[in-house]
Amino acid sequence: MNAEMSAITVSRLCKNFGRKQVLKGLDFSVPLNTIAGFLGPNGAGKTTTMRMLLGLIPGIDGEITMLSHTMPGGRTIALEEIGAVVENPAFIESMSAYENLYWFGSLYKPLTDQRIFEVIEMVGLKDAARQRFGTFSTGMKQRLGVAFGILHRPKLLILDEPTSGMDPAGRVHMREILTRIHDEEKTSIFLSSHLLDEVQRLCNYVVIIDNGRCVKQGYVSELLSGHSERWEIRVVDEDAAKTRELLAAMHEAVIDINQGPRGLVVSLQTGKSAEVNSGLIKAGVRVVALIPLEASLEETFIKLTGNGVSVGGGA
Amino acid sequence: MRRMLFLILFELKKILNRKKALLFLLALNIVPLVASLALIVAYVKFKGFGFGEVQFSVLHEIVKGLFTAHFKLFAFIAPFFLALVVGDSFSTELSRGYMKMLLLTPVRRWQVITAKTLAIMLFLLLAVCLGGFFLQADLLVARSLTQASGVLPANALPDALNIDISKPLYLVSTSSAFQLLVLTFVGNLMLIGFFIVFALFFESAILMSFTSLSALMGVHTFYLIASSLLNKIDVWYESAAKWCFTRHLDELFSVNTIETILENRGNLLTDNIFTAWQSSLGWAVLFYAIAVLLFSRRQILH
Repeated sequence: MNAEMSAITVSRLCKNFGRKQVLKGLDFSVPLNTIAGFLGPNGAGKTTTMRMLLGLIPGIDGEITMLSHTMPGGRTIALEEIGAVVENPAFIESMSAYENLYWFGSLYKPLTDQRIFEVIEMVGLKDAARQRFGTFSTGMKQRLGVAFGILHRPKLLILDEPTSGMDPAGRVHMREILTRIHDEEKTSIFLSSHLLDEVQRLCNYVVIIDNGRCVKQGYVSELLSGHSERWEIRVVDEDAAKTRELLAAMHEAVIDINQGPRGLVVSLQTGKSAEVNSGLIKAGVRVVALIPLEASLEETFIKLTGNGVSVGGGA
Repeated sequence: MRRMLFLILFELKKILNRKKALLFLLALNIVPLVASLALIVAYVKFKGFGFGEVQFSVLHEIVKGLFTAHFKLFAFIAPFFLALVVGDSFSTELSRGYMKMLLLTPVRRWQVITAKTLAIMLFLLLAVCLGGFFLQADLLVARSLTQASGVLPANALPDALNIDISKPLYLVSTSSAFQLLVLTFVGNLMLIGFFIVFALFFESAILMSFTSLSALMGVHTFYLIASSLLNKIDVWYESAAKWCFTRHLDELFSVNTIETILENRGNLLTDNIFTAWQSSLGWAVLFYAIAVLLFSRRQILH
């Protein structure tokens, strides 16, 4: 993929903290107009990479290109078109949400009040616009962080753990905000997270790193296409043993049978679910529910990153 | 350029937003403030008694003492407040993450340092000007006291009044007062630079102030006492102390310098005063350069 088409290109990126080598020649690229997830176990180098992208860690060993500007020389020009949201955004506590956005946001370019209020409304902080930042809850702080990131209509939005410390409702809201920004303002989004289900729901592209190297990158649909279909079958308790026998007999459709928490979890060949269902009903099994289990990134992730357990902590 | 101006305004706003700032401005100018009150009381009182009680020479001594006290005290306590203001602007912002937020925007690192330095300088200027304003008010009251008292009619000749001509006829000339204010400002610039270099190593304003003030005192003590003792072992100590930055501070804020300017025996361009404030400016620039160099390599980790 050439540099013009990609939002972020990183090649041969290395970084040492003392003796510990955090990044060992990291290579990846993120295409434009995607919502890309940046995944990795704790200590894999996600935060370090994010900081190097944003120039918070100076001295780059390797190459970073963002929106076809090479870092660190093009940092200032690139950042004019990039919005960044860091973990736990720190605004001035004694100032209101509006004032904070005005003062920090004006460092990008001159802003109109209209744009500030538009963004505040977009992240759902309309009622708190004049409230002091110090009185905000964690979720509100994160949302104001996103507001700050999109204030100057960036082409690329970089987020570090945007939902850390948020409650489930907050996460759902954050996903809605990000999807809306992506759709309405045509912003490419690059976000780091270790919440896999969240990345799966939100992103269409993923970069997975482990131990300072990129282990997998690509569109989510491509990554998951290799998987078989998985279904959870719930039957009346008396029929459980019979169901298991029946399923075991359907060699051509059923790949694998496991006992789930409330029913049987079976892996099926793609497109065979209707056949299996009718087979069971014909045999007189009272099927209560047939629930599709979506193929998950989790498996891919754990397979790639060696159980997801690694030594070391977030830098 | 527009971004830079905006950044300076933002930094100044952050400094003045803190309640501490107001306290600093008051505390730094406590002498002229109290003196203003005292003089106003005196004015009202003497007016009531029908004037004529205030001797010019007495008032002259009082006003001179007031000026000396203010500049001496300002020079003495300004480092403590400046260290805290610098600490808040750098150390606290590093630890709270404000610095990180600033650096996410397309500003360069030297711009951040410069804007912060300029904002602190403006704050110092504000403190100095506030003191100047009150001193000027004091002078006005004092002048009207002497002139209205009849001891020194506005157009009287000195010999007719039997006044020693070797002594100045006015209390303190505006130019002397102005020069002293400039001196205070320039002298403290160097300290701002010194503190900024320290602030980049600490993430707590209190710890940073404590350490940098200790270092300042240590260096100063070395220059003042240790060098004269160690001089006997090796002359190297003496020459080292001569280049030490606190030596120039000492020279700038000595009672001798203040009185020289007050009595119009010298001005900012007089040899030793000139050298002292030039070197202090030089040190300020050096500290600023070190700070920019350090900060451009600094990793912002939280």
